[in-house]
Amino acid sequence: MAAEIPGVFESSLQDFVKKSKVLVVGAGGIGCEILKNLVLTGFSDIEIIDLDTIDVSNLNRQFLFQKQHVGKSKAVVARESALKFNPSVSIKAYHASIISPDFGVSFFKQFQVVLNALDNRAARNHVNRMCLAADIPLLESGTAGYEGQVELIKKGMTKCYECDLKTASKTYPGCTIRNTPSEPIHCIVWAKHLFNQLFGEDDPDEDVSPDTADPEASGKAGDTALNTEANDTGNVIRVSTRTWAQSCNYDPQKLFDKLFHDDIKYLLSMSNLWKTRRPPTPLVSTELPDAAAGSSKEEDSGLKDQRCWSIAECYTVFANSCKQLREQFALLKEGDHLVWDKDDKYAMDFVAACANIRAHIFGITQNSRFQIKSMAGNIIPAIATTNAVIAGLVVLHALRILENKLETCVPVYLRLKPNHKGHVIVPEKVFESPNPKCYVCSAKREVIVKIDIERMTVKQFEEIVLKKALNMHAPDVTLDGQGVVLISSEEGETTSNNAKTLKELGLQDGSVIVADDFLQDYELRISIVHKAYVKDQPEYEVIAAAEDLVPKPIQEEEKKNGSKNEDDNVMQVDLENETNDVRKRKSDSDEIPTKKAKVDNQDNGYADDIIVL
Amino acid sequence: MVEGNRIELTEDEAELYDRQIRLWGLESQKRLRAAKVLVIGMSGLGAEVTKNIVLAGVKSLTMMDGSVATKEDLCSQFFIPHSELGKNRAEASVERAQQLNPMVEVKAVPHYPEKFADEPDFYTKFDIVCATRLDLPTYLKINTICRNANVKFFCADVFGTFGYHFSDLQNHEYAEEETKQIAKPVLSSHTPNKRAKMEKEAVKVTVKKTDKFVPLQAVVDMDWKNEENKKKLNEMDSSFILSMILLSFRSKQKRDPSPATREEDIKLLQSIRDEFLTDKSVPLEKVPDECFRTVFAEVSPSCAVVGGVLAQEIIKVVSQKGAPHNNLFLFNPLSSCGTVVSLGNIPSQNSKQEPVDLIDLDDD
Repeated sequence: MAAEIPGVFESSLQDFVKKSKVLVVGAGGIGCEILKNLVLTGFSDIEIIDLDTIDVSNLNRQFLFQKQHVGKSKAVVARESALKFNPSVSIKAYHASIISPDFGVSFFKQFQVVLNALDNRAARNHVNRMCLAADIPLLESGTAGYEGQVELIKKGMTKCYECDLKTASKTYPGCTIRNTPSEPIHCIVWAKHLFNQLFGEDDPDEDVSPDTADPEASGKAGDTALNTEANDTGNVIRVSTRTWAQSCNYDPQKLFDKLFHDDIKYLLSMSNLWKTRRPPTPLVSTELPDAAAGSSKEEDSGLKDQRCWSIAECYTVFANSCKQLREQFALLKEGDHLVWDKDDKYAMDFVAACANIRAHIFGITQNSRFQIKSMAGNIIPAIATTNAVIAGLVVLHALRILENKLETCVPVYLRLKPNHKGHVIVPEKVFESPNPKCYVCSAKREVIVKIDIERMTVKQFEEIVLKKALNMHAPDVTLDGQGVVLISSEEGETTSNNAKTLKELGLQDGSVIVADDFLQDYELRISIVHKAYVKDQPEYEVIAAAEDLVPKPIQEEEKKNGSKNEDDNVMQVDLENETNDVRKRKSDSDEIPTKKAKVDNQDNGYADDIIVL
Repeated sequence: MVEGNRIELTEDEAELYDRQIRLWGLESQKRLRAAKVLVIGMSGLGAEVTKNIVLAGVKSLTMMDGSVATKEDLCSQFFIPHSELGKNRAEASVERAQQLNPMVEVKAVPHYPEKFADEPDFYTKFDIVCATRLDLPTYLKINTICRNANVKFFCADVFGTFGYHFSDLQNHEYAEEETKQIAKPVLSSHTPNKRAKMEKEAVKVTVKKTDKFVPLQAVVDMDWKNEENKKKLNEMDSSFILSMILLSFRSKQKRDPSPATREEDIKLLQSIRDEFLTDKSVPLEKVPDECFRTVFAEVSPSCAVVGGVLAQEIIKVVSQKGAPHNNLFLFNPLSSCGTVVSLGNIPSQNSKQEPVDLIDLDDD
């Protein structure tokens, strides 16, 4: 309301605020705070969009929501609550995804400024492109724990969101997960894969049985193991885990004995693996240790989530969650499957129990369900205070944008501890200019994609490379200079191409294709480099079309790593002693050295994480 | 400092506070849920602090304010419904503050702090007192009462888009995580017979520390003609002097600059500045006229910034985890800069540094 009281602001700013129209993308932690600040400052024409619904774990910071709102649309409830602060303003709420043809370039052009309050990289990339296309200033923000950042993105003036390389999510080699885990996270990843093998989407890359192709186990040992196995129990290992589990009706004891006894014995027979490692100990369901292994940090806590379970307890939880999940699975339509969700009690119980049992077998530290949930769900903790500070800085920047003082909207960081100048809220001195090789905001939009053109189908190329890795929405793809349409965004037009390999459609090593996304008003030239597929290697690599950038392969592992992260926004966090240093501060070089890395929700660790620019 | 942190959290609490427990730990959450906080002055800044503290899950939050809600409050005070204008600010804020978290006891005291001037016991019921929108003499008085009662004291203001907060935590004991480089032998299976190579490894250890604070009086009494202080004043963010000017305006005029008398008040502020800076031979450009154009009412986004930083300090102090800002935080909206400065001859910190578990911290 500040703009409704003459004299609070300079009259010019007062006018700008009253007349402006702004868009808030996201009604989560930062979004709620931004909306409150906008309404109180006197913005009277606001639109807010969020596709999410309210969860109990939001209520400690998303203060426009209360218990009775759980399950309802965030955008709709945020609007209702914020209107109470000033019933005379206009707020339009959309319970929808911002990535939609409903919100095209002309939609974005209505606003003086767009305020991002998002929690995932895909949406951030998309809004970045929309604002570049519409040439509307975008305020990007994010928080992680006690730290956060605000950044202006303006076409031609600043870096765009995609100018910087984003840190790839951590991945693990298949044989570490399947054969030789050495850290709790390896067991957790294995347990999530097991969930998918039994109840979720079938993915051959998520096999949980012993990997006989492990290079370390090569030679006689592996062969012997394989033969022994085949002789003793027939070909059990070769049957899909789910088929086998269904054949015994998910009997917990049978599952347990196969996974934690038979498979482990099999691994033991691959003796090469255990020459320098502690060999695993097979477990028998009828003889389980009762005592909790190691004590948890919060040992005085009575909460079951916080305690370390004994293996006997793990078995009880495992057995119960198997039963519950089997029932959930049985209710699904033929061909449908469950999706692992950290907030689903039994799905989480199952992973916690299995991860701990496997950890016990391999002599790895066990963890509480609470700790496993953090790791399995890639939870980035968010708190009210950090969100409030960042949202305050966002709206102060927005006021300066209205006054056309864009040059004062430098990137600002919130730190946990003061730097050597005593700053906890740290402005950059200057803007970093756009990356001239950025494949999104530069004039020359080009990338090189390395793929196996004899193996990858057109459909796979569209889904995995164009949509996931390059973040396109609905691309039209033609072979450069030949007018051959590979992919059309018109439904049905190129369906017959889907199952064909790229080679069958005439692509060869060195071909150039043009992908055009109408919604994003974005065209990209892609040079295809043929590279034969190698097992356990990424199916593709995306490299900036610049000679001086060295491509480095990053493995694709946790690509189905569960749901998106509802935990607010992202952030640029200080990763001390980390090697994945993405951008150092140029302007503030006398600063205590901190390395900055964009770390979005890692559980959004889709293909976008393997772009190397 | 906070008693009763041995009581377990309920399943409901664990669910509601899940995300923050993942950040600051179960022990901190237990300390928070035992803390009693008093917020004096329920304008926009008071509302922001209250919101963040109630959401964090303290035992009780008491809002104290003797004044009535005005239209200007609607620039940032989101607890007060428009229909309650003219009613007592604290009482008008209770309903919405309570809705944020039913597990916290939210109370209103519809009085000015003067009422309790002769009842220091009133303040000793709290673990934290956070005073806003008072004049300097009143801040000093409450600070003295808190010091005598071993209650942690904060004061803070937002002037337009500028703001600050001050902390007097007396002797504050806390645990802090530090990264230490420890030499460790590198084990390698490939070279079993060679001498183990030593490699430095970063290890996180928790250490116990005690920081000493000074009362607000020590800052007020600073001799700005002293060379060292003069240098400090010149180097410091201009929002410090600006805050002093605005506190001086508040004491003299018995009010804050008003949007209704904008231009006259700017002139008054300029004259206070001229006198203050000339006296200390600081060039007037240190606090440019531009600053005075944005000191009216309490502007919401700045309340969010200062109230967010201040609430996090309160959480830090209650949970005895992490080094608090000692002793002044300044927010300058023109440069988007938030600075911590130490003023008033803070005694050198001879903190004990012994590895501990947070649980072992003594309650003082």
